[in-house]
Amino acid sequence: MLKTFITSFKLQNTYRTNSIIYSIKQLPLIKRILPNSLYKSKGLKIFAGIISILLEIINIFIGKIIYITAMIFMALSWYHTNQADTFIHIFTFLTLAGGVLNTYMLNPTKDKYYAIILMNINAREYGLSNYYYQLIKLIVGFLPFTILFGMIAGVPLWIQITLPFFALAIKLIVMNYCIYDFKKTNKVSNENLPTKFVWGFVAVCLLLAYGLPAINIVINQTMFVCVFIIAIILGIISLVKIHNFKDYRRMYKQVLTESNVYMQEKATGTQVMKDTSLKQIELDKNYTSNKSGFAYFHDLFVKRHRKILTEAVKKQSVVILLIIIAMIIGIQMNNNFKVKTNEILLVYLPYFVFIMYCINRSSSVTQAMFMNCDHSMLTYRIYRTPKVILGIFKERLKTLITINLLPAFLIGGGLSLLLYLSGGTDNPINYVIQFVSIIAMSIFFSVHYLVMYYLLQPYNVNTEMKSSTYKVVQGLTYIVCWYMIQIKMPIFTFGIATIVFCIAYCLISLFLAYKYAPKTFKLRV
Amino acid sequence: MKLVVKNLKKNFEKKEVLKDINFKFEKGKIYGLLGRNGAGKTTFFNCLNEDLDIDAGEFYIEDNNAKRKMEAEDVGYVLSTPNVPEFLTAREFLKFFIDINKKRIKNEKTIDEYFDFMKIEEEDRDRLLKDYSHGMKNKMQMLVNIIANPNVLLLDEPLTSFDVVVAEEMKQMLREIKKDHIIIFSTHIMELALDLCDEIVILNKGILEEIDKNNIDNEHLKNKILEALKEEN
Repeated sequence: MLKTFITSFKLQNTYRTNSIIYSIKQLPLIKRILPNSLYKSKGLKIFAGIISILLEIINIFIGKIIYITAMIFMALSWYHTNQADTFIHIFTFLTLAGGVLNTYMLNPTKDKYYAIILMNINAREYGLSNYYYQLIKLIVGFLPFTILFGMIAGVPLWIQITLPFFALAIKLIVMNYCIYDFKKTNKVSNENLPTKFVWGFVAVCLLLAYGLPAINIVINQTMFVCVFIIAIILGIISLVKIHNFKDYRRMYKQVLTESNVYMQEKATGTQVMKDTSLKQIELDKNYTSNKSGFAYFHDLFVKRHRKILTEAVKKQSVVILLIIIAMIIGIQMNNNFKVKTNEILLVYLPYFVFIMYCINRSSSVTQAMFMNCDHSMLTYRIYRTPKVILGIFKERLKTLITINLLPAFLIGGGLSLLLYLSGGTDNPINYVIQFVSIIAMSIFFSVHYLVMYYLLQPYNVNTEMKSSTYKVVQGLTYIVCWYMIQIKMPIFTFGIATIVFCIAYCLISLFLAYKYAPKTFKLRV
Repeated sequence: MKLVVKNLKKNFEKKEVLKDINFKFEKGKIYGLLGRNGAGKTTFFNCLNEDLDIDAGEFYIEDNNAKRKMEAEDVGYVLSTPNVPEFLTAREFLKFFIDINKKRIKNEKTIDEYFDFMKIEEEDRDRLLKDYSHGMKNKMQMLVNIIANPNVLLLDEPLTSFDVVVAEEMKQMLREIKKDHIIIFSTHIMELALDLCDEIVILNKGILEEIDKNNIDNEHLKNKILEALKEEN
């Protein structure tokens, strides 16, 4: 079993190393300098190998520290209950939820798929050895932080040490149950698609974890010890059963199907992405078009993709409307809320860059445009003539701007209304600027995504994303929008700056699209 | 009319996939392009279709001794994996294609006449293309490329997904339309190339060479092709 583990670890390390080299090779400019023979370079392999091992070590601890800090430690300040008991209480119920959500063993990862399905490595030896390794990582990763944060919260040392073992026992019990269920029903479910029962269980655990302390109920240390002892006994029994189970290969055959594995990594799971995109097409005989040429083609595209275009925007709009109504009620009923809202609205316009970024549908729409339309059409040379490309570009631009405008109108109008109702502003022009700048942001994102798509068309014929520049632009867009959250600026200054920027950006990018898209809008080879 | 390829080169980093391609393809003939796996047949097609930039050389149309650039309208490229817009029905796809090619279509027919020509059944004509089989999609891809009436038709293993009956129909159809086109047909199946193509061209080690078919029987021709494909530098 050790030999199998070492082989699988080496295998994992090899493709991690290759992935690191691949990522370096994808960087703009650098990719032109680096040859394919890079994968042969021993020095670079060692370097990437060291990074890969470092990442593995960081990975052991980083998730755990974030988990304990964000999910448990920070929550302690909400409650008036005993801090140590609350720490144990939340940890216990979250561990139960985590136990059913992630068993490690049944998580359909690519590592397992490569090893068991593609390379035919012994499934039991692979599954068990990697499972034990994950459990060791669980203990090693948790222990320093249950001790550190437990100490701060005043948890006794012996409980600080037992907490990771409690988590371990719960994982074993759940896994043993899955094996028991598999033996009985011959079925094993994909743990990344939890059933309603699992979601219900998780919801109850979360409610107990965070709800009970709010009404001053937490489990005390004696109760935890009882639960721990039961868990450890059941855990040991489970470990023996898991270890003695023989039929891992048959079980993994069900877990490691291509669609399960690639659902994990949607960016590379192109077939899954394509299948999802195909499901978005709806044929309704009533949806026809009287137009012709590009307009006809585009009109049908829009009508057959209502789910991801108009209907999604309608749902968004309903939510926005409800939030605005709730805010209006809040303003009318609570004076403190009214004053706070007014203060926030006067300086928080930059925050709405991020909100407009989040609600803009253009990114997913351009993806659907590629998957269901351009992916096939770009192989026809006639589709790539400047006349056709620009004709369809124009139609698409109109649609994208229009569909994104509905929520933008609601947000812009709603903000101005809330500003007025919450006490108004000294400068009445602020109402107009606030409204127009929200509309400008919406148009900006529509233009931005479509122009980037036409200038950098990132996919190849196999629908794989091949442009690192496109990824960098996407990342930068996110970072800039996220950065805007930190900024507080008066409506007038920020609003005017936004409107000017959006107009300038749209004009320049549309010029670039018209000039270069006929050359750049093609399938990557 | 001829498609002239001169000193065409294409490298991927240090690997010379197309070393020095020189060839004249003539109208009225079907050229069978044979080559081993990875020989560069698809790369050659991708270069002619301007999906890939070439590193050196040129290709152009020679018409009545006048040389002109090969434009987008001159090329139809049928890929081995059929690509059709899956959100449209077959009828809608044809309508769109006819709309945007209106000026270039000689003797435009009705959409149903085109379907009849390609032997696409009536009940399939108003179905979404996403529900078409691989072979049916391939038929549609072939049909729109023929309707667009390009001078040069590049066919990358187009018959492999057809059943024997449809494959025969397609072969017959290609024979019928060849007088108006330059057809370059890549395949791995030697019998198909020998049966359908007027000329056999081999892409080996980055070089394109014609196999002389004159005065030899099929068996000798097969051996000759095999020898040529096995040949080292």
